Amino acid sequence: MPSIGTIAFYATHPAQLRSIIQWKVWHNPVHEIDESKQTESLQRCFHFLRLTSRSFVAVILELHPELLVPVSLFYLALRGLDTIEDDMTIPLQKKEPLLRDFHNILEKDGWNFTENGPNEKDRQLLVEFHVFVEEYKKIKPAYRAIIKDITERMGNGMADYANNAEHNLAGVNTIKDYELYCHYVAGLVGEGLTRLFVEAGLANPALLKRADLHESMGQLLQQVNIIRDVREDFDDKRRFYPKEVWSKHVDNFEDMFKPENKEKALAVNAEMTLIALSRADDCLYYLAGLREQSVFNFCAIPQSMAMATLEVCFQNYDVFQKNVKISKGDACQLMTESTQNLQLVCEVFKRYARKIHKKNNPNDPSFLKISIACGKIEQFIESIFPSQKPPVDAKKNPASAQEVERLKKEANEAKWDTIYLISAVVLTIVVITGTMLLTAWMAGARFDIAFAQMKVQLGQLLGTDDAKAVSPKVSPGGHSEL
Amino acid sequence: MAPTKVLITGGTGFLGTAIIQSFLSLPDPSLYTITALDISPPSLGTQSFSQVRYVRSSVLQRDDLKKVFEEARPDVVVHTVGVYPVGQDRYAPYGKKSKRLWDTVFEVNIEGTRNVIDVAKEVGAKALVYTSSVTVLLDELDKDFRNADETWSTGRATTCYGKSKTIAENLVLSANKPDFLTCVLRPSVLFGPNDPVTIPTIHACILAHETPFILGSNTNLQDWTYVSNAADAHVLAVRNLLNSGTAAGEAFFITNGQPVTPRDFCLAIWREFEHTPAFEVRVPEGIAWWVGWGVEWWSWASGAKSVLNRGIVLDATKDRYVSIVKAKKILGYEPKVRLEEACRISCQFFRQKFKAQART
Repeated sequence: MPSIGTIAFYATHPAQLRSIIQWKVWHNPVHEIDESKQTESLQRCFHFLRLTSRSFVAVILELHPELLVPVSLFYLALRGLDTIEDDMTIPLQKKEPLLRDFHNILEKDGWNFTENGPNEKDRQLLVEFHVFVEEYKKIKPAYRAIIKDITERMGNGMADYANNAEHNLAGVNTIKDYELYCHYVAGLVGEGLTRLFVEAGLANPALLKRADLHESMGQLLQQVNIIRDVREDFDDKRRFYPKEVWSKHVDNFEDMFKPENKEKALAVNAEMTLIALSRADDCLYYLAGLREQSVFNFCAIPQSMAMATLEVCFQNYDVFQKNVKISKGDACQLMTESTQNLQLVCEVFKRYARKIHKKNNPNDPSFLKISIACGKIEQFIESIFPSQKPPVDAKKNPASAQEVERLKKEANEAKWDTIYLISAVVLTIVVITGTMLLTAWMAGARFDIAFAQMKVQLGQLLGTDDAKAVSPKVSPGGHSEL
Repeated sequence: MAPTKVLITGGTGFLGTAIIQSFLSLPDPSLYTITALDISPPSLGTQSFSQVRYVRSSVLQRDDLKKVFEEARPDVVVHTVGVYPVGQDRYAPYGKKSKRLWDTVFEVNIEGTRNVIDVAKEVGAKALVYTSSVTVLLDELDKDFRNADETWSTGRATTCYGKSKTIAENLVLSANKPDFLTCVLRPSVLFGPNDPVTIPTIHACILAHETPFILGSNTNLQDWTYVSNAADAHVLAVRNLLNSGTAAGEAFFITNGQPVTPRDFCLAIWREFEHTPAFEVRVPEGIAWWVGWGVEWWSWASGAKSVLNRGIVLDATKDRYVSIVKAKKILGYEPKVRLEEACRISCQFFRQKFKAQART
C-alpha cells in the first residue's frame, strides 16, 4: 500500500505517474528468458544478479540470448572482485594476492570465499562462488578469454590502489589520477562489454578501434556516480573528487560539506560536472555503433540515466548533504525513450544538456566551459541527425569552382544519357519494324499495292483532287478483280 | 630557395595584423617576405613589425595599386580589406532604402576585390586568399542555421554586407584558374585584443544598463572566432594553395568550433569586466522584434542612433552556427586558442586599454 506522501506526490505530478504507467504497460522485453530450461546453478547465478545489481538487472535480463549468460557472468565476476576490494575487514596481505589472482579463481572448480565481513551485502555470492565457476566453464572460450583478461587487469588495478597508502589517506590527487581510477573500475568494463558485443556480432567491429569511445561510456557512468555519491563516500571515509579540482576552491575536502561554503562547493560540483559532460558526445557516437536492439537498450539506458542524474546534481547543494536521485517517473520516461532508437536518445541528451545550460551560473568559474560543452553536444547531435537540409537551389550558387565543374559534368552526362536513350528506342523500333516487314515480304506481301491504296485513302481523307486522279489507276491492277 | 613573397591587403587592420603575426610565428618565418598594404599606417595600439614592409595604398585606386603590386611582385595575395558596417547599418537590408550604404560597401567590398584580383593576375601572382564572411550564408536573418556546411548555397543574404561579401566571394572563386589559384575563408564574428567591434559593443552594454535583458530563448547557439585562429587559417590557406592546391576554388567556414549562446558569450565577457547583471528579464523573441521595430522608427523620427534594432534581435535570437569540418580536413585547420582562453586574453587587453583611457 503506497504511503499518503506518495499518493499526494503523484496526484500533483500526473506526468510522472503517466511515465511509470507507460513503461509498465507498454514495454515488452526484446528477448525473454525461459527459466525452466536453465540449470540449477544458472538460476542461482541469476538470483545473485538480481540481488547485486539493483539498477540495471532488468536490461541485463532482456539481452540477446547469445550474450545473456556471458554478460551476466561478467557482471558477477566483477561484483565478486569488488566485494573483496571493498571489504576493509580483510587484511591487505590477504586481499592483494586475491585481487591479483582473481582471473584464475574464475576457473577453479568449487572455489568459494567465506572470510568477508558480515556487513558485505554481496558476501553470499562469494560463499557460493562455485555456481559461478560451473556456469563460467560452459560459455564459449572466446567470451571466457575476454572476461578473464578484463578481470585480471581490473584486479591488478584495484590491488595497486589498495597498496597505495596515499590514495587511501588523501584520496585522488589529480584529474588524471581520477580518470585512471575511473578507467580501472568502469573504463575496463566498457572495453570488456564492447569486445563481447563484437564477438557476438551484435556491434560494429570498428568500435574496438575507437578505445576512446568505450572508455567514455564507462567514464561518464562512473564519474556521475562519484559526483552523486560524494556525501555517502565521505561518510564512508572515501574521497574520489580529485584534489586538483577541490583545492582550487576550498582548503580541506571536509570544508565542502559545511553550509557556509555552499558557493565554493558548487564551484567544485560545476567543475566535476564539466569533466563528465565532456564525455557525452563520445557516448552518443558509441551508441551509433550498436547493431542489436537489446544491446542498444542495455547501453543506452544507463547513459540516459547518467545524463539525468548529472543534471539533478548540477548546481544542487543537496549533493553534499544527502542522497540525490532522479524521480521514478523520470526514470521510467528515460527508460521508455532509451529503448527505441539513437535519435530519441540524442533528444534525451539534448534536453538534459539544455537543462544543465539553464542552471549554469554566470558567476561560476566554469560557466563558459560548461556552456561550450553543452553547445558541443548539440552540434554533435546536429551533425549525425541534421535538422535542416541545404536549400534545393544549390545549382544557382555553388560553393566552389569544383562544384561548378561537377554540376557542368553532370548536366553534360545527363544530356548524353538522353541522346543514348532516344537512339536506343529508335533503333529498336527500326529493327523490329524492319524484321516484320522483311518477314511479311518474304511471305509474299504486296507492299506496292498496300502503298498505292494507302495513298488513295489518304487522298480521300484529305479530300484533294489528287485522290480522284489516283483511284482509277489502282482499281484495274492488284487483287480487286479476283 | 628564395622566400615566398606575400602581400596582405588591409595589413594594418585587426585581422591583417594578426595574419602577419601568424606568419612571423611560423617555425621558419624567413621563408616569407611580407608586404602589408593599407590605406592607413599602423594605428596607435596596433602592433607593427620591423620585418614587414608597410605600404600606403587604396584598393580603389587601381593605378596606384598596380604600382605597389609591381614593386612587391607577390607570389601570393591575402585580401582582407572590406567595409564592415557597424550599428544599425550592419543589418541594413539590401534595397533602395540603403542606397548610400550599398554604394560604399559595394565600392570597397566588390570593386576593391575586383581590382585586387585583376592587379594580382597582371603581376603574375600564383594565388589569392580572400577573407569573406560567414554572413554570405547566415545573413538570411530570419532563418536558423544549425551546423550548416559549405555545400549550402549562398545568394540569399538579405543585408548589404552579406550581399556584398557574396558577390565578392563569387568573383574570387570564379577567378580560380590553374595558374592563379584562389580560395575563400568565411570567418564568423571575430574578436580579440584591440578588436574594433565585438568586445567594445558587448562592453558598452554595461554602461548602458542593458545587461539584464535576455533576448529570446537563450538556447540558440552561435559561432565565435578568435582573431589569431582566423589568422592561422589564412596562413594555412596560403600554404595549401602554394603546395598541394587542394583548397583551390573552395570556400571554408572558419570559427572557433565552439558555439555558445550569445547571452552566455556576453555574460562571460561581462564577467571579465567584473560585471554580473543584478537581475534578469526575459524578452521573448516576438516582443523583442516589435520593440526593435519601434526603436527603429523612433530613431528615424528623432534622428538619434540606437543600439537595438530588428536586425540585432534576429541575429541574437536565431541559431547561427556552422561546421568547420571541411577546413579541418583540407586546410588542417585547428582553432588553437580555445574560446575561454580567448575571452580572457582579449578582455585583459581591454581592461588595460580602458584603464589607460580613464587616466587620460
